[in-house]
Amino acid sequence: MSDDLAIILTAGLLGTAAGLLGPFLVLRRQVLLSDAVSHAVLPGIVIVFLLFGSRAPVPVIIGAAVFAVICVLGIEAIRNTGLVHSDAAIGLVFPTLFALGVLGVTEFAEGVHLDLDSTIYGEIAFTPFRTWEVFGVEVVRSLPLLGAVTALNVLLLALFWKEIKVTTFDPSFARVNGISPVVISRCILVAVAITAVTAFESVGAILVVTMLIVPAATSYLLTVRLLPMVLVSVGIGWISAMGGYSFAISMDASIGGSMGMVAAACFVLALLFAPRYGFVTRALVRARRRSAARKPAEAGT
Amino acid sequence: MDWLIDLLPLSYTDSVVFLGAVILGVAAGVLGAFAVLRQRSLVGDALSHATLPGVCVAFIATGAKDASTLAIGAAAAGLVAATMILIIERTDRIRPDAAIGVVLSGFFSLGIVLLTYLANFNNSNQAGLDTYLFGQAAGLLEQDLTVMGLLCLISLAGVALAFRPLKTALFDMAFAGSVGLPTRLLELAMTAMLVIAIVIGVRTVGAILMVAMLVVPTITARQFTSRLSILLVLSGLFGAAVGSIGALISNSGGLPTGPVIVLVGFVFAMTAILLAPGRGVAWRAGKIMRDRRRAATEGVLIDLETALHAGAPPTPEELATVSGRPLRTVKRALTDLDRAGSLRRDGDRVYLSEAGAAAVHTLLDRRDLWTLWLEYGWRLDIPDAREPDPRRLRETLGDDLTDQLLAMASEEQAGS
Repeated sequence: MSDDLAIILTAGLLGTAAGLLGPFLVLRRQVLLSDAVSHAVLPGIVIVFLLFGSRAPVPVIIGAAVFAVICVLGIEAIRNTGLVHSDAAIGLVFPTLFALGVLGVTEFAEGVHLDLDSTIYGEIAFTPFRTWEVFGVEVVRSLPLLGAVTALNVLLLALFWKEIKVTTFDPSFARVNGISPVVISRCILVAVAITAVTAFESVGAILVVTMLIVPAATSYLLTVRLLPMVLVSVGIGWISAMGGYSFAISMDASIGGSMGMVAAACFVLALLFAPRYGFVTRALVRARRRSAARKPAEAGT
Repeated sequence: MDWLIDLLPLSYTDSVVFLGAVILGVAAGVLGAFAVLRQRSLVGDALSHATLPGVCVAFIATGAKDASTLAIGAAAAGLVAATMILIIERTDRIRPDAAIGVVLSGFFSLGIVLLTYLANFNNSNQAGLDTYLFGQAAGLLEQDLTVMGLLCLISLAGVALAFRPLKTALFDMAFAGSVGLPTRLLELAMTAMLVIAIVIGVRTVGAILMVAMLVVPTITARQFTSRLSILLVLSGLFGAAVGSIGALISNSGGLPTGPVIVLVGFVFAMTAILLAPGRGVAWRAGKIMRDRRRAATEGVLIDLETALHAGAPPTPEELATVSGRPLRTVKRALTDLDRAGSLRRDGDRVYLSEAGAAAVHTLLDRRDLWTLWLEYGWRLDIPDAREPDPRRLRETLGDDLTDQLLAMASEEQAGS
């Protein structure tokens, strides 16, 4: 498999996994919670590394998921005191967990395989070099990993589509019908954390957060129904992966950063030209209405 | 700055870091309050990530790496990012949290691309720009301190001069507009203050941890006061305390400064949330427990009085049966009453002392008065919107009104 293909496939799989979850974060106004969770998993990674001395994917994912839950519960506990608004609670909890992680890295794991760059700013350009031997065939490690996460997210949405949908749009109706919005919300955030931590080591945190937020927000400007929103969001993830890669090659710049920039460019285009909500489109519609209103008046005089 | 550095009993580098942390704490505390109180603290997160491309562009444009050039670049990028958040929110479709997230990731991606682009020039001079991500307090120079200190002083002076309009805009933008204040300008000013705080701090603690520095002093101070002027002062002091304690711990332990400062801040904030008098979680729990216990004690006192009227002095067990309260509650209440001198004991049996009898009477009078208030209170002509406290009706109503109430009640009862 060529390196180019491996990188684009990795990023595309991430785009799929994140694009499936992102729309629900946008609709549930939990976008920044995802950002918080993906930073707060760092101590989980460090602790697993200290305990087992390895960065094997499965324990790392479990450790990270534990800290994701701690982060969400901590934010909720602080908000529920009624003394602190939820934004400030987020701003208090996740930097603290992240600071713990940074301290752990610098104190105990410096110089080993765990440095900040590779944990948080893991560079997607190196993915083709990390391989696994599967049945005698050499496979780029990030592909089966991200593939499994994507499958997990697809499964989550396929099995609980109705539940997720109803808790997103009408939590009180869901509760009346015996579906707990809290449980569903936790499940989604744990899925976000698992996606984030799996993707961390292959693509880095910035790209994960970007892929979770930006395609979903773009898609929200373009669509009005839930299923199209999810599909468009996944599509924009793939566009960012491919567009970002070619941009990065031509400019010789960071691949992850370029993919993020392409995603952001898609958002700006949608912001301006989206059929319903774009600034330019709305200005045009307004201008047309105004001239249409003026014409009969002129005809009358 | 020289004299300040000489004044401190620390080595030169440590003093620079210490002073930097203090300036950062004061600036983030006072200026951050205007974001936290508007519930927009995570804008600070986005803006501190957005400083990265600004720093890179400033470096590309001027080739200089001194503190003031980079600070100007960072501030410009921060302002652009803040404006973009406001523009995106104006679509009505994208909500504030998504707008913040999009701007954060967009600007940060751009920053990473610019960083790698710079690195490709093999320009060794660019090394150190990436400390903007994680912050590097040890890299602070004396000239950085001067820039930070000046920025901090200027913005604090601005807050002091424009305190009233800022306060109005902070709590009620619509009202501020209706009395003719320039709301756009004030909103811009508050955003600019946030940007300045970030520019001051991001070098020391880094982009990701900066948001904690903005949030911690304000939520700590908020637990102790409800007045903005006091809050700003307290917040600045707490910020300075967090910064200086963090810097000292990291010095003595050889730990990275940014994370230690943030952890100290977390301890400050949690202590305030738990223990703040009148508001804190533990304080409220304690008050509820004390209130419950007092109510139980008063109930047992009245039960005892009733039981004594009915017959012989009861044992605690009998009292529990008669009143339907758990024996444990009754025993604890009796201990409380004993301590207050309201009880006499005769072997197992308990009866009231003189003080106890007096206490029962005041209690019963108070209950009667409350019943009268519920019955006839609506007829009283109270000059203001007081809500009387059931336990201290006479005190809250005042003697005049209470006497009126009693007169009204006796008149009514004589009439019927």
